[in-house]
Formats: sequence, structure tokens, C-alpha cells
Amino acid sequence: MTNNPTKTVIEFDDRTVRHFMVASIFWAIVAMLVGVVIATQLAFWQVNLNSPYLTFGRLRPLHTNAAIFAFVGNMMFAGIYYSLQRLVKARLASDFLSKLHFWGWQAIIVAAAITLPLGLTRGKEYAELIWPINIAVALIWVVFAINFFWTIARRNEPSLYVAIWFYIATIITVAMLYIVNHLSLPTSFTHSYPVFGGVQDALVEWWYGHNAVAFFLTTPILGIMYYYLPKAAGRPVYSYRLSIVHFWSLVFVYIWAGPHHLLNTALPSWLQSLGMIFSLMLWAPSWGGMLNGLLTLRGAWHQLRTDPVLKFFAAGVTFYGMATFEGPLLAIKSVNALSHYSDWTIGHVHSGTLGWNGFMAAGMFYWLAPRLWNRKLYSPSLANMHFWLGLVGILLYVAAMWVSGITQGLMLSATRESGTVLAYPNFLDAVTSTKSLMHIRALGGAMYLSGFIMLAWNIFKTAHGAEPVNGTIEVFVEPAHPARPMGLKRGFINAPVVYSMLYVLFAVGWAATSGIYSAFSFVGIFSISLALLIHKDVSKATWNQWYEQLLENSLPFTALTTLAVVIGGIVQIVPTIIVNKAECIEGVRQIPYTPLELAGRDIYVREGCYNCHSQMIRTLVGDVLRYGAYSKLGESIYDYPFQWGSKRTGPDLAREGGKYPSIWHFHHMRDPRQISPGSIMPNYPWLYTQKTEVDLLPHKIEVQRRLGVPFAEQTPEELTQCVTIQEQTIAADLKAAGAEIPPDREIVALISYLQKLGKSEKVNSTSAQAPTASK
Amino acid sequence: MFHRILVEDWQRALTILSFGIFAAVFLLTLARALRLGRDRVRHLEALPLEKDSHE
Repeated sequence: MTNNPTKTVIEFDDRTVRHFMVASIFWAIVAMLVGVVIATQLAFWQVNLNSPYLTFGRLRPLHTNAAIFAFVGNMMFAGIYYSLQRLVKARLASDFLSKLHFWGWQAIIVAAAITLPLGLTRGKEYAELIWPINIAVALIWVVFAINFFWTIARRNEPSLYVAIWFYIATIITVAMLYIVNHLSLPTSFTHSYPVFGGVQDALVEWWYGHNAVAFFLTTPILGIMYYYLPKAAGRPVYSYRLSIVHFWSLVFVYIWAGPHHLLNTALPSWLQSLGMIFSLMLWAPSWGGMLNGLLTLRGAWHQLRTDPVLKFFAAGVTFYGMATFEGPLLAIKSVNALSHYSDWTIGHVHSGTLGWNGFMAAGMFYWLAPRLWNRKLYSPSLANMHFWLGLVGILLYVAAMWVSGITQGLMLSATRESGTVLAYPNFLDAVTSTKSLMHIRALGGAMYLSGFIMLAWNIFKTAHGAEPVNGTIEVFVEPAHPARPMGLKRGFINAPVVYSMLYVLFAVGWAATSGIYSAFSFVGIFSISLALLIHKDVSKATWNQWYEQLLENSLPFTALTTLAVVIGGIVQIVPTIIVNKAECIEGVRQIPYTPLELAGRDIYVREGCYNCHSQMIRTLVGDVLRYGAYSKLGESIYDYPFQWGSKRTGPDLAREGGKYPSIWHFHHMRDPRQISPGSIMPNYPWLYTQKTEVDLLPHKIEVQRRLGVPFAEQTPEELTQCVTIQEQTIAADLKAAGAEIPPDREIVALISYLQKLGKSEKVNSTSAQAPTASK
Repeated sequence: MFHRILVEDWQRALTILSFGIFAAVFLLTLARALRLGRDRVRHLEALPLEKDSHE
């Protein structure tokens, strides 16, 4: 038997890459089309068409999910599978898994596109999909992970290029985030309640929501940048060393920044501060990566005039820099007081998705198409036109949102008479003042969509009549794997890791404790330093070898990456989970819902009201003057899911209960403009004809009870009687005010919920028992 | 808000602690990156530039 390497030809699986690329283009157009429709609805409310399936509240989740998971998801898989095979010099491990991954992911997207307009939702932003689809997502993600790591295991190139690091971080972190934020208890095949409620749910949701941006929309695309940008520019990355610092700093810091979505709210202030500080520190790694990308173009800038691929990449990376400058800016508490709940955030998000994700996708597709079909791009001129149309579209969109957002922020927080009176007490003043900007927003979005339709046409014409080809490469396969196997145990039980862990432990102990514990920790730091010096001197250890081996061993590398991203989550979430119990609440505590109010809440969630209305009065003068006393933690402790919201297209509803008579809501939901001239809210005529779903209530309440909501024990008959009594009371009230409605209609349940919002009770004892729900 | 299970005057140390954690991670990775051998860097950065049959 010889140990000489044998020469062999590997044919890559580019068919899977083509599939994902075509799917991404198709879903991009769907996502953007829905985006343009909902942008138009904000300018012309009539575009809601009085249809339950086409309201802003139901279509906006479809837009965001399609853009994130369908467009960018498919693009990411195409980009990863193409580059992974070439970087590790191996074909994808399993054709079956590749097919299962592709078709499984498309089935998930189709299921989402059907269920979201039907109002089947979990009521959490970017996590709306119902629980059976959640399970499918997790399973298909595992299929992706197996295919990915199996391919790495079969590689013919020992080193792991930095792009693969970013892919590994994506796979691990998205799995962790997705599973934790989607933990639910089902009440039926299409409905569930999340296991977290109130502030817990808020924290977990934005830990997930922020890091969905980080690890679904950023890290995989950075990996793609590190592969495709050098390819397109024909030169290596500007600084490989910088890419290492970029990777570790980014994955470690990003995970801590989630609470910046909850600034000035009822979230404990230490968490807010932590979110703000780590967001600011994100500037460094983000800009390190952005500069590394741009400087890769050194000596190739002249190609930008003619090469649409480089044009898209250069602009995409620039938008990454802009978005990662603006993000930390918006995470500063005082800036956030102005920007949050306004269109500024929407503009920020779109400069990232349209500018960074969209342009990187376009650049990659234009680069891939000629190589996947072995034919020149049909029209570079059309691609150039796409670039300029898209760029102007983004600028119109983002500029309109900046102006609109700042206008809304200023108007809604403006006060007169030494800060005692609101300058614009009518919320609609801000809506009507920014209406013209909604037109510009829809125009910008339509231009961007037109550009992507051009891309679809260009790639279709490139592929049409051409023969799809799979790339091949000759490699020398060594009989023994060239990588030096390390193993998980040897990866972690070694001096550098043990010393580092002890350092972190003692450092945290020193900073977070006081007295004897702090002193002990300080001595610990000193002792570890001394032990380290002695160890090095005695053993003559060189720790470079450990690190160098790490670069060739995916398993310990993956475990180390997992550790880096898990730390932030544990520090932030665990304390909140431990203490967010009814018996720990001070001050005020939410009064649990009645069965009918719970049914009304489910309707509120179904219609996606949280997309436009918050339920969180911030600790800011403008909020308190407009909506009442600021929201306390205990006031939403029984809310599964929480409904704090992230945008105020309409006013906050945290203290809506009792603010207006029931007849006001009755008329307002049927035709908002009858009550509030200038409103852009849709009409909800179906609430007056559809009957309230009460059959499932006993089971829903049982699930809520298991989650810790103190609903009273009731037989199904008692529960039905309780619902009927409350329905009849509200119907009688409406009748007395001049409106007749059968008591079993959804509008009655919704009114019962709206009238309950903000109802709480004082808690005096430091260990008060949780109350029981009123019947 | 909550009972005093949560220490609410963390802000005093929070910024310094956060910066310390970030700086430690940053400096460690920087040190590793700088000590990476030149040949190895050249090998790694050239990986994407290898061409297959259709490039």
C-alpha cells in the first residue's frame, strides 16, 4: 500500500446552487412586491381592500419573513454551497440532503405565504410562523447543518478559510436563537402560546430579533463577501489577519446587543445599559470588516466603471458600513428616545436589507450566472441600469424614512409650557404630516423592485438555451487526512482555554461583587497570572500549536464559536427568567384576562395590531403626557406573547382600557376615519360578522394556566357562561349607545380586550400571592 | 420594579466591565492574528482565488 497522494477530479454539485439562486430571485420579487403593496397602504389606506387577508397587519409579517427567510435565506444557501465546495475542495456530501434542504425550505416558505395572510401567527416579530412550521424550519436547518459539516469532514483542503468560520457561526447561532425564541405550548394545530411572557418574552424576542439580523442577514453575507469579493476583484482579501479579528470580535459582541430594542421601556435598566454599550462597541468589528472588504478592491477600482458585479459589491459593503454606523447610533439611549417607534428604524433596517443584503445578492448572482450556465451575462448594461435604479430607489426610500422618522419623533415628543403640555396632542398630526413621505417611500421601493425584475430577466436570458454546468477541479487526495485531528476534548481541556476561563471568571467576580468576594477574585486574577508565567517557564509550552490546530479542526472550532455566542445570552436572559415571576413583582401587577378578553387578545394578535400599535409607555415625558404613567414590568407579566411592539404607526394602547366608551371602538374598528379623520388604519368589517372562537378557550386557558397565568378553575360550562355574560354586557352597552350587534361577534371580544388594557392592581406585600383571574 | 433580587446599581461597573470583556476578546484575537505565520496567511488568503473548470 502506498502513501502517495492520488490525483482525482471532483465534480461540484452546482445544480443545488442554481436551484437556490433561482428560488432566491423569485422570492425576492414576491417579498419586494408585498413590501411595495404595504408601503402603498400607508399612503392610501384603501389599498387594504377591506379584505381580511390583505391588511397591513397581516401582510407586513409576510413581507418581513419573505425578505429574510425566503430571499436572503435562499441567497445565503446558494452562496454558501457554491463557495464551501470550492474552499474545501469537495463535492457537497449528500445529494439527497441537498435536495431535501432545497425542497424542504421552499415548502416552509409556501406554508408561511399561506398561513400568514390567513392570520395564523404567533404574534412575535420575525417569529410569526406557527409551531408546525417552526419545527419544520428547525429540522431543515439540521439537514443543512449535517450537509455542511459532513462536506467539511470530507474536505481535501485542511485549512478552514475565514468565510467558513462565518458560515459555522451562522449555523450554530441561528439554531440556538430560533429554538429558544420559538419554544411554545400548542393549543391546536395552528395556534400556540410562547413559553415566555411579559418582559421575559420581550427580552428573548429581541435577543432573537436583533441576532436574526446579525446571524442571518450579516454573518453569512460577510462570509460571502470574504469569498466572492476577492474572486470578483481578482486579488486576495486586503488583510487576512484583520478578518480573524473581525470574526471573533463580531460574533462575541453581537449577541449582547439585543436589549437596545427595548431602551427606555420597563426592561431592567442594567440590561438596557448592557445593550447600549455593546451596540456601541460593535462599531469596531463592523467597520473593521467593512474596510477589509472595501480595501480588497485596492488596485481594482477602475473596474467599477464597467463591471456591475464589483459595483454591487462596493455599494453593498458601503451600505454595510452605513447601516453599522447608524445601528449603534440608534442604540444610544437619548437618540433612541427620538428614533424608536418611528420610521427612522424602518429606514435603518432597509438600508441594511436593500443596500447590504440586496446588493450583495445581486452582485453574487451576476457573478454566478455566467459560471453556472457557462455563458456570458446576457446584458451587463441592463445590470448597470439595475444598479443605478436600485441605488436611487434605496436613497429615496431611506431618505424619506429618515425625514419621516425624525418628524414623528419630534412631533410626538414635543411639549409646550415648560414641558407640561403636548405640542401636538392629536397623534394623527404626525401621521398626516408625514403622508407625502409615504408616497416617496412607495416610489423608492417600486424602483428597487423594478431593478430586481431586470435582474430576473437578465439571468433568465443568460440561462435560457444555455446548458447548466457543474464546475470540476483536480485535487490530490492524500491517503491520510492532512489535518491534524484534535478532538473536542483536546480542544478544550488544555492550558490556554483553562487559563482564559479562569481569568474571565475571576474578572467577573471582581467587577460584579463587593467586599470579601471582590478581594478574593482580585487575588484570583493575580494568582492565575503568576501560575501562567510559572507554567510557561517550566513546561516551555508553545500555545501557538493549539491555535493553529484549531484552524484545521471544525469541531472544537464550532464548540468555541458556540461558547462565544452563548455567553451573552446567558448573562442577559437567565436572571430575567429567574425573577420574572408574579410573586417577585413590586408596585403594580396586571389583572389577568377573563376568558372573553383572552379571546379578544387572540383576535388582536391574529390581525397583527402589534405591527402598528405598541403597548409600552416609555419613561419619557412625551410618552407619559400622551398615554399616562409609564409602563411597569408587572403590567404585562401575564401577556403570552408580549405585545410591546416596535413601531407606532398608530398610538400606544398600553392604557387604552376605559379611555373611550365601547361604542367608540365599535365605530372605530368599522371605519376609523369616521372617528379619527385622517387615519390610515384599515377597516375591519369581518369582525362584525365572524363569531368569536370559544370552543378552544378551555384548552387555551389550561395552557395559559400551565404557563403560570392564574386563571380560576372552571368547568367548560362555567367558562361558556362566563363568556356569554360578558358578551351580553358589552352588547347591551353598545345597544344603549345606539349600535346593535349579536353578542357572539368578534368585535365584542376585541372590545372586551381593548377595554382591559392597562388594568392592574397595586401590590403592597413584598411576597404577595398572585391574584386569580376574574370570571 | 422587581424585588431586590436584581442589583440595580450595576451601572457603576457595567461600562468598565463591558469594555474590559470586549477589550480582552479583541486583544486576544488580535494577538493570535498577528502571530499567524506569513506563509500560512498567504495560503489562506489564496484559497478563494483557485479556479475551477468554468472560471
